[in-house]
Parts: sequence; structure tokens; C-alpha cells
Amino acid sequence: MSVVLALVALVIFPGGLFVIFGSLAYEYVDRKLVARFQNRVGPRWFQPLADLVKLLVKEEIVPAGVNRGLFNGLPLVALAASLTAALYVPMAGLAPAWGFRGDLVVTVYLMMMMTLCLGLAGANTQDRFSLIGSTRALTQLFSYEAPFLLALLGPSIAAGTWRISEVNGYAREHLWMIVTQPLGFLVALIGLMGKLELPPFDAPEAETEIVSGALTEYSGRGLAFFRLGRDVELLVGLTLISAFYLGGLANPVHFILKTLGLLFVTAGLQSLFARLRIDQTVGLWWRAGAVLALVQLLVLIVLKILGVRL
Amino acid sequence: MSPEADFLRISESVGPWVSGSRTAGHRLDMDTSAERLVPAVTAFKNLSWGYLSAITGLDSGTVEPSDGHIEVLYHFCRGPAVVTFRVKVPRGDPSVPSIGAPVPPAVLFERELAETMGVRVTGLPDGKRQFLSDDWPENVYPLRKDFTLESAAATGEPAPAVGSGEEPGTFIIPIGPQHPALKEPGHFELTVDGEIVTHASIRLGYVHRGIEKGAEDRSWVHNIYLMERICGICSHIHATAYVLGVESLAGVAAPPRAQAVRTVFCEMERIHSHLLWLGVAAHEAGFDTLFMYSWRDRETIMDLLEELSGNRVNYSVNLLGGVKYDVDTKAADSVRRGLDFLERRTKHYMKIVTSDESFLRRTRGVGAITYDQANLLGTVGPTARASGVSRDLRHEAPYLAYRDFPIRPVLDSRCDLAARFVVRINELFESYRMVREILDRMPAGELAVPAPRKVQEGEVISRVEAPRGELFYYLRSTGGVKPDRVKVRTPSLCNWAAVLSVAVGHKLADIPMILVGIDPCFSCNDRSITLRRRGSRSLENWSWEDLRAYGISYYAGGAT
Repeated sequence: MSVVLALVALVIFPGGLFVIFGSLAYEYVDRKLVARFQNRVGPRWFQPLADLVKLLVKEEIVPAGVNRGLFNGLPLVALAASLTAALYVPMAGLAPAWGFRGDLVVTVYLMMMMTLCLGLAGANTQDRFSLIGSTRALTQLFSYEAPFLLALLGPSIAAGTWRISEVNGYAREHLWMIVTQPLGFLVALIGLMGKLELPPFDAPEAETEIVSGALTEYSGRGLAFFRLGRDVELLVGLTLISAFYLGGLANPVHFILKTLGLLFVTAGLQSLFARLRIDQTVGLWWRAGAVLALVQLLVLIVLKILGVRL
Repeated sequence: MSPEADFLRISESVGPWVSGSRTAGHRLDMDTSAERLVPAVTAFKNLSWGYLSAITGLDSGTVEPSDGHIEVLYHFCRGPAVVTFRVKVPRGDPSVPSIGAPVPPAVLFERELAETMGVRVTGLPDGKRQFLSDDWPENVYPLRKDFTLESAAATGEPAPAVGSGEEPGTFIIPIGPQHPALKEPGHFELTVDGEIVTHASIRLGYVHRGIEKGAEDRSWVHNIYLMERICGICSHIHATAYVLGVESLAGVAAPPRAQAVRTVFCEMERIHSHLLWLGVAAHEAGFDTLFMYSWRDRETIMDLLEELSGNRVNYSVNLLGGVKYDVDTKAADSVRRGLDFLERRTKHYMKIVTSDESFLRRTRGVGAITYDQANLLGTVGPTARASGVSRDLRHEAPYLAYRDFPIRPVLDSRCDLAARFVVRINELFESYRMVREILDRMPAGELAVPAPRKVQEGEVISRVEAPRGELFYYLRSTGGVKPDRVKVRTPSLCNWAAVLSVAVGHKLADIPMILVGIDPCFSCNDRSITLRRRGSRSLENWSWEDLRAYGISYYAGGAT
């Protein structure tokens, strides 16, 4: 029986199909919001699904000079990592499907797999745009990853645990941590936009310079998996940040309201700014992001040592 | 200083190298020879007078290829004045030295001369083709009078690669001919070291349509429509430059009301062009929100143009001797309403491009063309004006209704991309004011006067201020119903030299914006394309069905 339940959790709910369709729905909301902010009509509700199906049935062109195993395998690894990460977060406001002490660290690393795969996929092809794109993707990875991790550590230090479900529980019983740790929230949210290469952090795929960056040579299935993986990561990231900073997720209503609220803010940020050059992105993260996250963390640790209850 | 005094000073300085000179109005023509050209131009250059505006090649035409001569005209301009050096070379072995050393921007013009007119230009630095396609046969020059379509199809040799061979250790990023940053086909090779651009080169000609040659085969009237199709953005200004030239050759003057209507269209075209540019430039910077909004607002001016003329792109306003459409009170009112809306929106855009920190980080101090560079490299239009170089023919050499409704030239001395935004947006305000003033004080009278079918013998230079800068037309008539030569030099061609030289040293991410900063227009740079079956030697006309069938069989693997 437990095997059946585990399989259901893995393939149908809360992992697998649920996450896939959920993340397509969030992609739709994101695209629609950005479109409306830009005075455009935007896509119809089924457009992300239609895009996915279309890409899956399209011919997949493997360019000359690539390692075929890597070329085909990387999108799968990227998607699998994102889907696995979804199992450790309180998806739909319910308890995570899996969990152990230290699962926060594993989740953060699983979320990083996406960018690593993207970087490798770009470097695997001989295309100039891909090479520049993957260099930029990895450069960007090194800039936002540390501040992002530090920003997630804040709530877990406050809660005194490395387990996501316990941090979530702690957050539900205390004042929203966006109030007590505003800097950490800011860094985490913008870090998520950096991870997902959303504008203005879209230098790794800046179409007017390098066409489509690391994914320039991808078509068909590989492209579909990368895109889906990114959507899943968006959902996982939003869940994680709302669970940590927005007073925890106790039920599906909480989940929908809080994650959509966050998505509204990120969509607004996406339409407000001109694209940052890669040097500007790195400068921003190391001069501002990392410092803010460190300050937040130091304050927390000092308060903790002084015995102040948050 | 009046042109006469200038001309006197010029004649004295270059006298030793000139065999004859004539002054007529604002023009000074000086005959020289191929041997004495470079010293003459160098002496002229030392006077720091004006800039090289165009190089025109004229073929005298003859039955025997070795007879006759080719005349090369070097036009230098300052304000309304034009100084032309004329060099005659034998048709059998036409050769002139390059003036690229004293006048660096001459190189692109000389390449056009060499490729289309077959004049050997000795000392040209870069050997790559710029205008004709790579498989164009050797020693066939389309602008020669004895050119035939058959001669162009004679080789069918495979095209040599466009790219210069990549040297080991260099990394070249190709931009174009097809690339998301380019709305029209052009090809740039950017050698990069990491993210830093260390060399930039350009290849034009992907949309070369043979319009200058085509013009020689059409009547003076037909050519209005041909010229209008040189560019889809600034169509009216091309027709206007042409019509003004033909009218002055034929000794006809359009009535005042017609001139006012032409000016209204010129300024409305500028408004639509500048708003289009604003959106494209914002898109290159990844600022799509501004792109979407500015293009939404641009629809207002497009709708107004359609209301006035019935057309959105090629307005077809001009006739020889006048205009087709009137602007009545009702139409004027809707133009005023549209301009009120646009003015409010433009103020908002001005605020964004001058105060939005994330946008300024992409424009301030980026792509700076200094005053000296802008001057030396012969930039024109808003690009020059954003570097403090006051070149605006509407102000310096007023034509049409600009004589009665003076324009205030917009200048900025900050030289960078941000300045180009400010200049173009300020020009929008100036255009709004102009259109309103002309509509308020529209001269009454006829819309057109009759123009002769044949145009008397002679040559004329017609220069007008297009949205992108000075547009140069050279027209020559031999007294027939068709022109003998129509030479078009579009503003973008003048600005390439400057933009390529400042691109070096910038980050790859800044390049799209720097390229777009001059508002490049490829179609107007390139004015023959012929379709030929692979391996076939014959030239034939292809119908749409033929092309479609060819496409299908090509992709089915059965290319014939």
C-alpha cells in the first residue's frame, strides 16, 4: 500500500503531473501579467500547454559537432532535478511529499541543476551564440547563487532547523518573516528572478545580442524539457519563498493567494526595467545582493545569541 | 560667410591642382585629373570646409567599350553650398586613387563606385564586396550604360564565403544577415575577447534592388513611385528629394500650398520614424515595455497619415509640380487632436529616457561619438546633432515650407546614446510644433501646376533632411523622357563609418544599441537582385508559383 501511495505522490500528486500542469498554469499567469503590463493582449489560457505539445511533436535537430548523449540527456536531467525539488516543498499548501533533516540544502542544489545543465548544454554545441550564452549563464550563477542561499538560510536559522516542513511550520506560528527579515526576502525574490533568467536578468539569453543564448541550437523535445523545467522551478521557487517569508503555507488557499501575489510582483519587476548587462548583473549581486543577505544573516545570528525571540 | 567668399577661398587653395572651375548659385565645380585628385582633396581638406557627402559615377555611354569616359564626382557639402571635384577617366581603363587617407568616410562610397561603375580605386584598404552579391560575375558593372541583364548572368560561379577567415585565437560573433537584433538584413562580424569587442566589420547589399539602374529605364514620372519605394519608413522624403530635383531641372515650382502639404507629410513621417526608432532602440536594450507603448502610440500618426493620403507606408503624395492630396479643415483637426495626444505621451517618454536609472545605465556614456569624430567621419542627421555637430538642412538650407516656417535645430553635446535619445525626442516636439504651425497658416491656392514630360538637359543636386539625416540626390537629364542618371546617397551610409569605429572596445551587450543608435536603414543603403536557378546560366522571371514549387522541391531534397 505504501508503495502505491509513494508512486501516486511521485507521478500524480503532489509531484509529477500536478506539478507539470500547475507550473504551466503559472507560466500562463506570468505571461499574461507581463503582457497586460506592456499593454499587449497576451496568450490564451492553454497557450503554455499548446507550446509544450507543439515542441514535443516537432523534429529535434541535433547539430553537428555535439556529444549526442549530453545533448539529449541534459534537458532530461534539468527537468528531473526541478521535478525532484518539487517533492521537498509544501506544494499546494500540503505537507511536502518527502523530507529529511537538511532537505533545504538538497532542494537548493537541485534548483541549481537547471542552470548547470543549461551552461553545459550551451558549451556542448559549437554555436557562438550558445557559447557566449552559457558563459553568461554560469557567470550569473556564480553571482546570485550564494546570496540566494544565504537569503533562504535566514528563516531556517530563525526556525532552528534545516528541514523545509519545519521552517514552514515555524513560519505559520510566527509573524511573517517578510516583516522581520525584509532584506532576506528581497534578495530571495530577486535571486529567484536571476535563477530563472527573467528580465532584467535575461543577459544569458538576450535575443538582440545572442539570439537565444545557450538554447540557440535546441529544438523540439530538448527545448520543451528545458522550458518545462524552468516553469517547474518557477513554481518551486515561489512555493519556497512564500513558505519561508509569507507566513507559511497551511492549505491550498494560502498557497494560491501567496504564490500568485509573489508572481504579480515578479511580473511587475520584469516589465519595469531595461536588461542588465552581464557585468552589471554581477556587480549588482556582489555589491548589493551578497552584502544585504550577509547583513541580514549577521543580525539574525547576533539576535539569536542575545536570546531575542523572533 | 557667403558661399561666394568661401568658394573664392577654396579656388585659391586648390588652384594649382585644378584645370577649370565654374560657380553657379550654391555650387562650385572644379575639374581635376586622377593624378592631381589626392593633392587637391588634401589641400581642400586642410581648409576644414564641410564634409564629403557623396561620390557619383557617370558613364558617358558609348557603342565601343573603349571609347568615351567615366566621370567621377566628389561632392563636399556645407550648409547649402556644394563643392564638386570632377575627374574624367578613360572608359577603357578607368582608375582613380582612393581619397580615404585625407577623407576616411570616402571608403564606403568608393567601394560602391568600384562595384557598380567599375572604376578601379587604387589604395582601397578592404577588399570585400559591400553592395553586389558574392556570386555577381567579375567585371560586370550594373551602372555602366552597356550593361545588360544577360551579362550579369554569365557566370553562375558559387558564392565565395562572406566571412573573412577566422584567424586562430580569435572568436567572431556573426550578427546577421538574419538575426533577431536586425529588422533588415545586414551582416556584422564582431571579433570579441570575452565580452569585449576588438574589431567590427560590415557587409551590406542583401537588399540591393538595382533602383538606380532601374530609374534610367523609367520616365521622370514613373520614377517618383520607384524612389518612394527605396525605404518603407522614409518613403515620402525620397520622393520629395527626387521631385524637388526634377522640378528645379525642369524650371517648374510647386505652388505654396503644395509645398506646405509636402512639408506636413515630411514632418509627420519624421514623427512616425522617430517613434518607431524609440521602440526598436528600447527593445535592443531589453526594455520591451517601452517598445510596446511607443509603438502603440505610433499607431496614432500612422492612422493620421492614412486618413490624409489613404496609405500607411508609401503615401504617394508627390506629383511633378505639386501634390495629389489636400489637407482640409476636418483632416487638420484630427491631426491636431492626434498631435496633442502624442505630445503628452512624448513628454512621458522623455521623462523615462532621461530619468529611468536602469535605462540610463545602458545609454549614458555608451557609444560616444565625439564632436571631432562626428565631424571627421561625416556623420549626418540626429547622430551628428547628438554629438553637437549642427547639420540640419531644414535649418541650414531651407527648402519647401521650411523657408516660411523656420525650424529650430536640436543639438546636444553629450555625444552618447542617451544624447541620441534626447535629440530624437526633442525633434519630435519640434515636429509637432511645425505641423501645427503649418496647419494654422496653410497658404491658399492651387495644389499643382503642369510639368513637362521631357526635362531639359542638365544636372542638379537635391538635398533634403530625412529622419535619419541628409539625403542626397544627383539627377542628370539629357533632355529626354527618362533620366540619364539618378544617384541616391542615403543618410545611413554616412553614419556606418562612425558607428563601426566607436563599437570597438565596447561590450558585446552594448553593440545592438550602438548599431541601432544611428537608426540604420539597410534598404536604403542597398538599392539588383536577380534570381537564377542553381547551375543555370539563364536569367528568367520567376512567378510566385515557380518560387513556391522551387521551395518545396528544395526542401524535399530534390533541388534542381
